[in-house]
Amino acid sequence: MIAVSDITKSYGAGGNRNQVLKGISLQIADGDLTVILGASGSGKSTFLNVISGLERPDSGSVLYGTSDITKLSDGELTQFRRDNIGFIFQQYYLLPNMTVEKNVRMGADLADNREYAEIITAVGLEDRSSKYPSELSGGEQQRVSVARALAKKPKVLFLDEPTGALDEQTGRQVLDYICKLHKEYAFTIVMVTHNQNIAEMANTVVKINSGKISEVLQTKSKRPLMR
Amino acid sequence: MIVGMKDALKLIGISVIACCAVFVCTLFLNYNIDIAAMKNEITAAGGVAMYNAVVSTGKVVAAVSGGCLAVTSVIMLLFYVKNYIDTHGKELGILKALGYSDFNIAKHFWVFGLSVFVGCALGYAAAFLYLPGFYELQNADRLFPEIKVQFHPALAFILIVVPAISFAALAVIYACFRLKTPVLDLLKEKREYKAKVSKNKTNDMPFLKELTRSTVRGRKSLVFFIMFSAFCFSAMVQMSISMKDLSSETMAVMIMTIGLILAFMTLFLSLSSVVKGNAKTIAMMRVFGYKHSDCSGAVLGGYRPFSYIGFAIGTIYQYALLKIMVTVVFADVENIPEYSFDFKACMITLILFILTYEIAMYVCSRRIRKLPLKSVMLT
Ligand SMILES: Nc1ncnc2c1ncn2[C@@H]1O[C@H](COP(=O)(O)OP(=O)(O)O)[C@@H](O)[C@H]1O
Ligand SMILES: [Mg+2]
Repeated sequence: MIAVSDITKSYGAGGNRNQVLKGISLQIADGDLTVILGASGSGKSTFLNVISGLERPDSGSVLYGTSDITKLSDGELTQFRRDNIGFIFQQYYLLPNMTVEKNVRMGADLADNREYAEIITAVGLEDRSSKYPSELSGGEQQRVSVARALAKKPKVLFLDEPTGALDEQTGRQVLDYICKLHKEYAFTIVMVTHNQNIAEMANTVVKINSGKISEVLQTKSKRPLMR
Repeated sequence: MIVGMKDALKLIGISVIACCAVFVCTLFLNYNIDIAAMKNEITAAGGVAMYNAVVSTGKVVAAVSGGCLAVTSVIMLLFYVKNYIDTHGKELGILKALGYSDFNIAKHFWVFGLSVFVGCALGYAAAFLYLPGFYELQNADRLFPEIKVQFHPALAFILIVVPAISFAALAVIYACFRLKTPVLDLLKEKREYKAKVSKNKTNDMPFLKELTRSTVRGRKSLVFFIMFSAFCFSAMVQMSISMKDLSSETMAVMIMTIGLILAFMTLFLSLSSVVKGNAKTIAMMRVFGYKHSDCSGAVLGGYRPFSYIGFAIGTIYQYALLKIMVTVVFADVENIPEYSFDFKACMITLILFILTYEIAMYVCSRRIRKLPLKSVMLT
């Protein structure tokens, strides 16, 4: 269970001060698929970075179980991410000078996971193992980043517009892999997206509008939320 | 503007090296020219033998240090040009896509020659200021008649204008060659990774080890710089300690200063360029929860063995050079003490070197610690 309460965050100082998060509270149940929707610039990425421990909020708390990650030191926060968190970004951020296999090992080694080859197979890239990222298509690169994130066996997977740079069909394929693995490994997913269709698969849909939650839609079954 | 003055300013490493090289060469060559004009007036006993020894020393020192430094600045220049094209692939690629020819883009790289010009001019000026003192020093035994410092326009031209023009031309030619890559590869900032590792073997190396290996392999010129910096440190410091007996103290201090400046400069520039070049990788590792020590160890640690190799080569080099000077060049001169390997100097230098190197590493790993995750990822 992740309990976020009253998060605020601003950038800049003085006249340039820009309050990006204006008091956000939210609860995310274990194993849930939560989708965050909102216009560009509304603060979705900032929110995601704060609850995943990449950035510190100005105020508010982020509880994982009973521990508040906003109170951790830098070293403890690193350890926390190492033990709990996986990330997937719109721009993939693969390491360009390493093969697919080594990119996946970057995640796997953190969890002493020797079965990383299985995950490469699970995202359908077994015959691309020894290729470099620049030799892959966008969809394939994003699948590598999925494998890399899951190879470290995260308890929570954060995705920031994972299909933002992909076309509709490729994006859907990547999401299908993620959903398949979600069922298999039962981790929690928090995903930012512009894509309304993805929301159909979610248990919870959170809409953010200029730094505030404007709407939370929940569904207990996997019944499509909106059409 | 494709390559601006600002970019040329970043080549301060080349300026410093050029400055040192021209400083040393000016001192010895100017002296050699001036003393050659006086050759017939040398009358003191042992004067002619000393004359020959001094002239050959001048040639050896100018050739060895000048040549060494010139090679380094050439490699550094090529490194900067390549690095610029690699990191500005998008802008350059778009210019190419719009129809600019390779040469049209490459010609702007001439500004890199400015850094050499500035360095050489400064080195020459500094040497000229120091020349009277140097002449005095060289003639401490009064074996030669009084020598006046003369200005030799041809020497100034060869030591300032020629290097500047050659480096500008070299930068343009090399940029032209580098830009010959297809537009798409530039735009994708694609580098030649695939050819480097044999594909058929899938090795079982852990990620951090592989990272160390690929960081070192990805930028071989940096290996050279780091070895060179250790080489300079080792050779110059040991030489100046041992030379106290062989030559004047001022000379020893001069050699040590040049060695230290060069060593610090190249070591620091190389290591920070390693950190900069791997900023994205490090940021991503931090996001995933790798510790600072893992990141800096893996990224910087691969260079350590090379620095020790550089140190060893420097030790051998300075020993050989001093031995040759003593046994060949000064063979006919009296009162030159016997030279043998100075083990104590070597140990002192090694300890100093380890300290310096580890401090530089520590400074760079502090930088890694301070890398702001978000801004690295946004760019
Ligand atoms: N590091 C930063 N420094 C200053 N402003 C920032 C920074 N990061 C984000 N912002 C600002 O915060 C606002 C929200 O950004 P972001 O969370 O990335 O929005 P979204 O992901 O919803 O598009 C934007 O106006 C952006 O300019
Ligand atoms: Mg965003």
